[in-house]
Amino acid sequence: MTPDVGLASHGAEEAPRATAGRAPDVFSREGWVPMREHCRDEAVDFVIVGAGCGGSVLATKLAEAGHSVVLFDAGPFWRPLSDFASDEREQEKLYWLDERISGGDDPIEFGANNSGRGVGGSTTHFQMVSLRFRPEWFKSRSALGYAVDWPVDWKEMWHYYAEAERAMSISGPISYPWGPKRGRYPYRAHEVNEAGLVLARGAEALGVDWAPTPLATVSAPHGKSPPCVYRGMCKIGCSTNAKQSMLVTYIPRALAAGAEIRDLAMVGHIETGPDGRATGVEYHRDGGWHFQKARNVVVSAYSIETPRLLLNSACGRYPHGLANGNGQVGRHLMVHANHAVWAEFDREIRWYKGPPSMACCEHWNYDDDDPSRDFHGGYSFMSQGPLPSDFAGTLVGSTGAFGMDLRERMARYNRMAGLKIVGETMPQAENRVTLSDETDAFGLPRASVSFSYCDNDRRLYEHSQRFMTRMLEAAGGGNFLESASTAHLMGGCRMGHSPEDSVTDADGRSWEISNLWICDGSLMPTAGGVNPALTIVANAARIGDRMVRLAKRGEV
Amino acid sequence: MTRRGREDRPAPAATRRGRTGLGMLVLGLGLGLAGAAAAGRLARSRKHADIHDASLRRTRDGAAILGASVLMDSAMEHFRGGYENRVMYLGPTMAAASVAASLSEPRLHPGGSAARVAHGACLVTGIVGTGFHLWNITRRPGGLSWNNLFYAAPIGAPGALSIAGLLGLATEAMAVRQEDRRTTGRALAALSGLSLLGESAEVALLHFRGAFHNPAMYLPITVPPLAGIVLVALAVRPHAGGQRVTRLLLRIVGGLGVLGTAFHVYGVSRNMGGWSNWRQNALAGPPTPAPISFTGLGLAGLAALDLLDNARDRA
Repeated sequence: MTPDVGLASHGAEEAPRATAGRAPDVFSREGWVPMREHCRDEAVDFVIVGAGCGGSVLATKLAEAGHSVVLFDAGPFWRPLSDFASDEREQEKLYWLDERISGGDDPIEFGANNSGRGVGGSTTHFQMVSLRFRPEWFKSRSALGYAVDWPVDWKEMWHYYAEAERAMSISGPISYPWGPKRGRYPYRAHEVNEAGLVLARGAEALGVDWAPTPLATVSAPHGKSPPCVYRGMCKIGCSTNAKQSMLVTYIPRALAAGAEIRDLAMVGHIETGPDGRATGVEYHRDGGWHFQKARNVVVSAYSIETPRLLLNSACGRYPHGLANGNGQVGRHLMVHANHAVWAEFDREIRWYKGPPSMACCEHWNYDDDDPSRDFHGGYSFMSQGPLPSDFAGTLVGSTGAFGMDLRERMARYNRMAGLKIVGETMPQAENRVTLSDETDAFGLPRASVSFSYCDNDRRLYEHSQRFMTRMLEAAGGGNFLESASTAHLMGGCRMGHSPEDSVTDADGRSWEISNLWICDGSLMPTAGGVNPALTIVANAARIGDRMVRLAKRGEV
Repeated sequence: MTRRGREDRPAPAATRRGRTGLGMLVLGLGLGLAGAAAAGRLARSRKHADIHDASLRRTRDGAAILGASVLMDSAMEHFRGGYENRVMYLGPTMAAASVAASLSEPRLHPGGSAARVAHGACLVTGIVGTGFHLWNITRRPGGLSWNNLFYAAPIGAPGALSIAGLLGLATEAMAVRQEDRRTTGRALAALSGLSLLGESAEVALLHFRGAFHNPAMYLPITVPPLAGIVLVALAVRPHAGGQRVTRLLLRIVGGLGVLGTAFHVYGVSRNMGGWSNWRQNALAGPPTPAPISFTGLGLAGLAALDLLDNARDRA
């Protein structure tokens, strides 16, 4: 029976869908596509743990090069057309809400802003902002004097950014005001909504550049994706497939190329053999534990779960966890400061219409010389369009409003606009993931996360709030309200130049175990002042090509 | 943020509602007028023994098709804009008048007639409309930016109404100046050629906005401009030859109008919900009434060719 559009279907969460030689057809309400299956006892070329920005891209690259690949994800395999509801609470099913212990001076809140659980990872609910790193950030230490250099050249990344933008059919402006010249975006930028025009008016009044945000939702038909209809439910999962998530871009490619996907499969351990090399993964699916043999294991589970899995895989030979001989696993965890300023306007804005961040400003990512700059790193900020209960949460969190007071504030919802930063934080060794004594439903130790801002981080977000208040004022807003939160995760298993201060080399290969790889946001040595998804995709594409070349030379 | 009392809370901004009833009325009247005129045209004798009269009729038919395209397109697009500014009613209203005037027979002697007034008014409305559209574009942040050219009022659209009016006025002049076929042929070739170039420029802008996601989207920016250039060349040098190629190109242009309509119907179906959600998708998808305007311009171009050929025969 075909469920109606928007009716919640819980089938995906109850039993694995990618079984018996078929996987869900994500462009249908109830259809299937064929899927190659692999035997558990025969070693596949690559097991990849996590089907988000890192794993989906890598699985596609490796499968398209002819390697046998099994891609695991702990979450469900959704069909957005029938599984996604236009309801904020229902759609919390897209987040990784399994408990984590969060501490430090500034404990991170986990869920909507920094996790995904399901095939496609967090891209099923990301805000689609697809910005490139500033080239100098790949040499932060040597070019800008803070943090560390990436072991990757910006020109190589620039090449893969273009590839990622093509694969995700990014809709972006004809000319982008910041950074070196880039090729044309595959699709034209969307019409900027009223919330975005608030940023635009403010920017023009202050004399700084602004741009329509490059977004991963199509502005014209693409394949089976219809153009965006500006419903504004993007942040809780796009139910039309206009959003170019991993689920509708790379995952169908990976399946067509012969990769197998195992949904609702929680990987608990990576096994190692007597020679110290990885032999496969132990995973929980369909009510029991199983083992998949593999010649290579790639961990793509993002900045909390990747370190957690490596630490949880400790054994006699590796007592501190895999790839952790130098104690670097779990360290240098970064977030983006996600501070915001909100303002009221006389006219209606209706900021929930369209993708939430349709206009952006990267001025403070590129301006190094302004006398007011009192911080290292950078921040971008975008116009906002929070859904009602999301914004009610912001109001309660930052003002303590309750009852009639909250009701009156929410009554002004349609006349509000806001600006929110994606602010770079510094990599600090003590911001880290460790294991707690508590265990989860699978009996696996939970992750314990400690995070504290440093002084530079604080100066950065305080600067941003002053600047954004000025901009909103210039745009005609009043009655300002500031809020603080974090978004995204970066680092935790960073790649680097040497085994002393990093977990992997530039190819994502762990220094310690030659057939154990990492490919996700946890590799990022610095955070940059832009949303990380595009960078993770581009980096995964780069690593994928690199692994294919290494395999051809017999070095994998 | 300070708490505000009930008294000093600003009055809610007036909710803008499209004056859809009146819009539908305008569209209905326009369609009725066009339909009545078309019926009258059908009832009329279709025989035009004289090549001059046939060309004249063909040009007016082309203008009528162009006017009908503008009528439907502006009625739909201005409806989408909620007829927020009352001036927006002028577009479809004048387009309806253009269709009616073009379907009527021109008067053979100088002097005012309702049709002539209507053609002239369409010319002026198109120019004024272009001004309004330009204002709509430049008042947004970013000014004359790509984003505004893509999404604000379409800069080239009102021009189509001016062209319909100009074509109508041209036929009125032709009716009066029966003998000077070369001059009228050249003028008509120049007018239809330049119009094809202008129309193609508008299509290029909007198909660029659609990222040429379907290769067929290149068709209307290759064949019509080519036909337009050849027509203008003929207007400048009527003896240069190449009439047969031009005629073929213009027939293809006419066919593209029909093919383009089919593609736009398909394009609407590719939006979420397809044609079953026509009330949103007919407005959000590619404009179905737009491509047929090429057929109208193609007819005018063919009429110009007939006149030039005929003038040569008599020379």
